[in-house]
Amino acid sequence: MLKTLLTLGLIGLLAAALLSSVHLATRDRIASEQQRQALATLNQLVPESGYDNELIEDRFSAWISGLSSPSTIYRARMESEPVALLADVTTPDGYSGDIRLLVGIEPDGEVIGVRILEHRETPGLGDKIELKRTDWLRQFTGKSLGAPPAEAWAADRRGGAFDTLSSATITSAAVIEAVRNVLAWYSANRDNAFELEAQSSASSSGSEDKGKQ
Amino acid sequence: MKSGNLEIWRQGLWDNNPGLVQLLGLCPLLAVTGTAVNGLGLGLATLFVLVISNLAVSAMRGVIRPEIRIPVFVLVIATLVTVVDLVMQAWFSSLSQTLGIFIPLIVTNCTILGRAEAFASRRPIGDALVDGLAQGTGFAAVLIVLGAGRELIGHGTLMADAHLLLGDWAHTLEITFLPQQTGLLLAVLPPGAFIGLGLMVAARNRIIRSRAERTEAAAQTRPQAA
Repeated sequence: MLKTLLTLGLIGLLAAALLSSVHLATRDRIASEQQRQALATLNQLVPESGYDNELIEDRFSAWISGLSSPSTIYRARMESEPVALLADVTTPDGYSGDIRLLVGIEPDGEVIGVRILEHRETPGLGDKIELKRTDWLRQFTGKSLGAPPAEAWAADRRGGAFDTLSSATITSAAVIEAVRNVLAWYSANRDNAFELEAQSSASSSGSEDKGKQ
Repeated sequence: MKSGNLEIWRQGLWDNNPGLVQLLGLCPLLAVTGTAVNGLGLGLATLFVLVISNLAVSAMRGVIRPEIRIPVFVLVIATLVTVVDLVMQAWFSSLSQTLGIFIPLIVTNCTILGRAEAFASRRPIGDALVDGLAQGTGFAAVLIVLGAGRELIGHGTLMADAHLLLGDWAHTLEITFLPQQTGLLLAVLPPGAFIGLGLMVAARNRIIRSRAERTEAAAQTRPQAA
């Protein structure tokens, strides 16, 4: 009996030892991979040549009304002048749960572009928000909260100025409203959005291999 | 020995295929087979875990008393899956992004526990290795065929996103049969997985029955001829 217990305990210890050594061996690499991927996504909206600051590090969290959980805001600068603001936000209003998207804004409040980072929308219907499936997402580029006016920031199926994906009204509306909420937040915080202290969690591991390999 | 291995392969690929006959591991099987590439990715990961877990269980079979064998198997499998998950995140991060949430699902694949219990804990390491390879390949084959079928009908493509799994050269593997947005949506939605697997099981049964009928017919004609 005791021997059986010891065997089980020993095997448990072995498993724990193996797991912690694999964790130690992969931890830094996983962190740098995640950072590299985050940067690659950001670079889709702001090309690497368009800024000269540590984009990944120059970020802070903000609560944006209408969006769930604190959003992460990245700021791109060229010679200390603001170039773009990138908001990594999550809307809870998707048809099957959260949609995580990245909204890029020029300092004057014009949308640079929008990218979908994560979603669980219906394949074949709601997933047309992905850029690799349709161009629907491109309609935001160049728009701002004044053009069209704030009340027209809705799906055309609901009387707004934006295209609605057929059979995916809820999905479309969720994305449109998320972009509008980001713009509304920016117009209310325009004065200090580029001034706020960066709050990056000083994890410098992997920040050396900036950019894509 | 040689024929023994052959028999193990036959069991894994056809006679006792985990996906089509034992109907084990349906949770990951049905969940990921939206595309052929997803099927291939999960198939390879499952194959890997199955082989290593078979080896580990077979190596420990002298030490493990029957009362604690199930907790030990679960521990071994859970450890291996976590290691695979971490290694994939570190070195195959783009693949891990598409398959990420499915890798932990391998833990729920009862094929692996099933093989540990029914085979690896009673056989020498060599046999356990062959069994892991055979059962894993059989499972992966079902995943790939089902994934390819659903992708073809649902999206009209084959091997889309293969570059995430195999590297950039794999763009050439992508084949588009139908123009965008004309696929039959049902196939890529969850019901499509059940219907597709059902059809595969039915097709296998049909093949077995017509084969049995043929041998029966042959057996009946033989006495007359003699």
